[in-house]
Amino acid sequence: MSSAPTTLDFTNIVGLETARQALLLLAVNPALGGAAIAARVGSGKSTLVRAFAALLPPGTPFIELPLSITEDRLLGGLDLEATLIKGAPVFEPGVLARAHGGVLYVDNANRLEPSVAAVLAEAMSNGYVRVEREGLSAIQPARFLLIATYDPEEGDLPLSLLDRLGLIVPLSAQGDAATRAEVVRRNLHPAHDEDESNMLRAMIVAARELLPRVQLPDDHLAALVQTAMALGVEGNRADVFAAQAALASAALEGREVVDEDDLQRAVRLVLLPRATQAPTENQPAPQPPTAPRATGTAEEEGEDETQSEAERPIQELLLEAAQAALPPNLLDLPFAAQRRGRRGSRGQTLNARRGRYVRAVIGDVHGGRIALLPTLLAAAPWQPLRRAANEKRVHVRRDDLRVKRYRDKAGTLYIFAVDASGSMAINRMREAKGAALRLLQDAYVHRDQVALIAFRGQGAQVLLPPSQSVERARRELDVLPTGGGTPLASALLTAWHLAKQARERGIAQVTLVLMTDGRANVGLHAPPGDRQRLREEVQQLAARLRADGVNAIVLDTQVNYLSRNEAPQLAQWLGGRYVYLPNARAEQIANALSQSAQAV
Amino acid sequence: MTTRTVAHPYPFTAIVGQEEMKLCLLLNVVDPRIGGVMIMGHRGTGKSTTVRALADVLPMITRLAGDPFNRAPEDVPEHDPLLALVGIHERPHKTEKVPVPVVDLPLGATEDRVCGTIDIEAALTQGVKRFQPGLLAQANRGFLYIDEVNLLEDHLVDVLLDVAASGWNVVEREGISVRHPARFVLVGSGNPEEGELRPQLLDRFGLHARIVTITDLEQRMEIVRRRRAYDADPEAFYAQWQPQQRALQRRIVAAQKRLPEVIIPDDVLMFAAELCMKLNVDGHRGELTLARAACALAALEGRNRVTLDDVRRVAVPALRHRLRRDPLETMDSGEKVAQAVSELLARRNHRAAERPAELLETA
Repeated sequence: MSSAPTTLDFTNIVGLETARQALLLLAVNPALGGAAIAARVGSGKSTLVRAFAALLPPGTPFIELPLSITEDRLLGGLDLEATLIKGAPVFEPGVLARAHGGVLYVDNANRLEPSVAAVLAEAMSNGYVRVEREGLSAIQPARFLLIATYDPEEGDLPLSLLDRLGLIVPLSAQGDAATRAEVVRRNLHPAHDEDESNMLRAMIVAARELLPRVQLPDDHLAALVQTAMALGVEGNRADVFAAQAALASAALEGREVVDEDDLQRAVRLVLLPRATQAPTENQPAPQPPTAPRATGTAEEEGEDETQSEAERPIQELLLEAAQAALPPNLLDLPFAAQRRGRRGSRGQTLNARRGRYVRAVIGDVHGGRIALLPTLLAAAPWQPLRRAANEKRVHVRRDDLRVKRYRDKAGTLYIFAVDASGSMAINRMREAKGAALRLLQDAYVHRDQVALIAFRGQGAQVLLPPSQSVERARRELDVLPTGGGTPLASALLTAWHLAKQARERGIAQVTLVLMTDGRANVGLHAPPGDRQRLREEVQQLAARLRADGVNAIVLDTQVNYLSRNEAPQLAQWLGGRYVYLPNARAEQIANALSQSAQAV
Repeated sequence: MTTRTVAHPYPFTAIVGQEEMKLCLLLNVVDPRIGGVMIMGHRGTGKSTTVRALADVLPMITRLAGDPFNRAPEDVPEHDPLLALVGIHERPHKTEKVPVPVVDLPLGATEDRVCGTIDIEAALTQGVKRFQPGLLAQANRGFLYIDEVNLLEDHLVDVLLDVAASGWNVVEREGISVRHPARFVLVGSGNPEEGELRPQLLDRFGLHARIVTITDLEQRMEIVRRRRAYDADPEAFYAQWQPQQRALQRRIVAAQKRLPEVIIPDDVLMFAAELCMKLNVDGHRGELTLARAACALAALEGRNRVTLDDVRRVAVPALRHRLRRDPLETMDSGEKVAQAVSELLARRNHRAAERPAELLETA
């Protein structure tokens, strides 16, 4: 429960300066909820977090959350041993309740199961944990700080969780040579600077005391809110976090009034990572409601440059700083990326032991997890026979054992690969979109997902990654490119990648819907015009998809039936169905799909 | 950090903006027959804060003392089989006043705790078969709230909808057979980007509120200020909002009392029907919800007569989820409803201007 062993003091860790700042703010102001820290493997992020824990007052719980944790360990549940001995249900608090008043740390948090992430998010917004499981009902306080570290290369944090972590530290650029050398030097010769650690501790205590008295002037607050709006930050929670971060920053610096540096820090750690758009030039900049701005000392100094600085609205300064700090590609930011659907969606079940526990069945213990309540219920009627006189403990025999059966949540993934080249492309794309949306109408029932690939010109492009959301599909599919060559092989390869990723997320069924006339003229490696090699590429990829068990249906959209046999040939290679649908309508496509689904 | 397990929830009356969501909830308090509300919107827009805040402004109900099913005394017979099933062998004669329950369905709740199941302790220690009521029993005559509806197991959603529609919870599991009243207003919330809700599910909620991030600077600043005050000292903040909270509570009680007296004039009813026809809403649930919500709104504002304006104000949340789904439609269904309302109103005004005499006659 107490701090984990550390190899380095908090003060000794170099190269993670922003993360360190964030953790200090968190230590000062628990209203920030937590921090997400993106860093590469081996950057020392875990060491930093553990060293941070050592700075907290003695006795503060610090719990490292294992990724494999189950919902019942998280929330609490039946204490099997105590229950068996006492002969009556005994509740054992879960990790969330044990973290109350302390810190919960998750490394590789991008790999958290969605259900676990959702439970964490719920506990964070409530401040308590409520358990209504397996015959037990309990409510326990659970106010904790959550620190999540992850390597963005491996995936993003679930947005529902990220949204509740006040501070987000994006991946920092590789440090310069001097910093890197310093990392090595300090690791080789860790200087145990007790004094410095003690000083930090004292600073945190003093800042916590100061915090309730720190003032946030209205024009400063207005500047934060306007910056959030300009960056397209979703929801109003971020405003609150930004204000709390600015207050904590001021408290840490021993200031009683938030100043521009504090605002900048709040923008960098709270608002910027949540941006979904770059601040636009023509953004209407409403005037702060309260006219008088804090008059800095700079003005009195009368220096030309500083004077003009002080005269500019704070909001402008903040926006400028934000603009400078934005990554060149906005999609490197988690909210922007997921907003536009260019990166991972909600994960699905991975194996038989995941998903939601539905029913308990009589079974072999080695085949699954024991369902405690049903097991005890099965044992209950026999207790008078099995017990000695005056004995309380419960006798459970092998026959009583019940194991949990999980429901596989995954449905089918339909991948639409649409030939976006040629004159009929617009038509084809529109109808494909209609069919995709039609399938999604039922998606909630079947847990089906839809993805859409367009291919034209030099390659294929995923317009819509696997998704269940009609809203998202409608938005993503609004802009559709057309024209150019037909890179069929690239489309097949892209489809194969999507199918593979789907498999990893537990979606067993993948159906590829290919809308084309089958005439490939742009290859992956084949030189243009080399019909033989173009053909071979397509054939190989089709065979690969077939071998991997991807169902396929080829919709031939050629208007003039020229009997070139290319689309039927493709269907044959894919081991799928061939349907001739010139001027295919959305309904016809959807019907063809449901027919082939029944055939499967 | 407070020592209470659950700090005072954020006061309902201190919530800034999001008027549609607040109105939908209040209308359901005034008339539970409206059939619940589904709230969809972005993260961090105060959905769950608002629903959880509702409890504090709800009126009190009278129930049989200690009844785990929250029943009114007159609904419990002298020899009540349900009481016997939970191990109460003599019917209490006292009554008690309790606040209208708002039961929060936590994530990870299992079916046995939602519906109720065999009392494991009684089974193990005494070898008797007893019923341990679940959350549905607790929610009887109150509200049941499901946050993140999209994350809930499908079959659990189905159970909840069935019970909400019938008002009865039937438990047949682990050798227990129980049927108990479970009348509650179902409130759900979720984020549309986490996965769409199936249309059949949406249909069964009376109202559908959609909320977005507030963009008014002054409102957003006020949210931050109030939140800071609340986080710093929930008890003091709660105390500060007491007058507004109690005033709203009184308004709700008065509206509930007034509701049976509220009349809806024929031409207003006609307008509701025309609107549903214009929007091609199937069945009669649309008109019915529209009428009930409009009556509740009039009652809430202390009026005995429903006006066209009442219908206009509730039309979007009452109808937006009942339109036929056209996958290629890009216009938001709420906008479509609003547009139909204003078109119908304009036509009406036009007619009124042309034939004032006729209208006077019918009035």
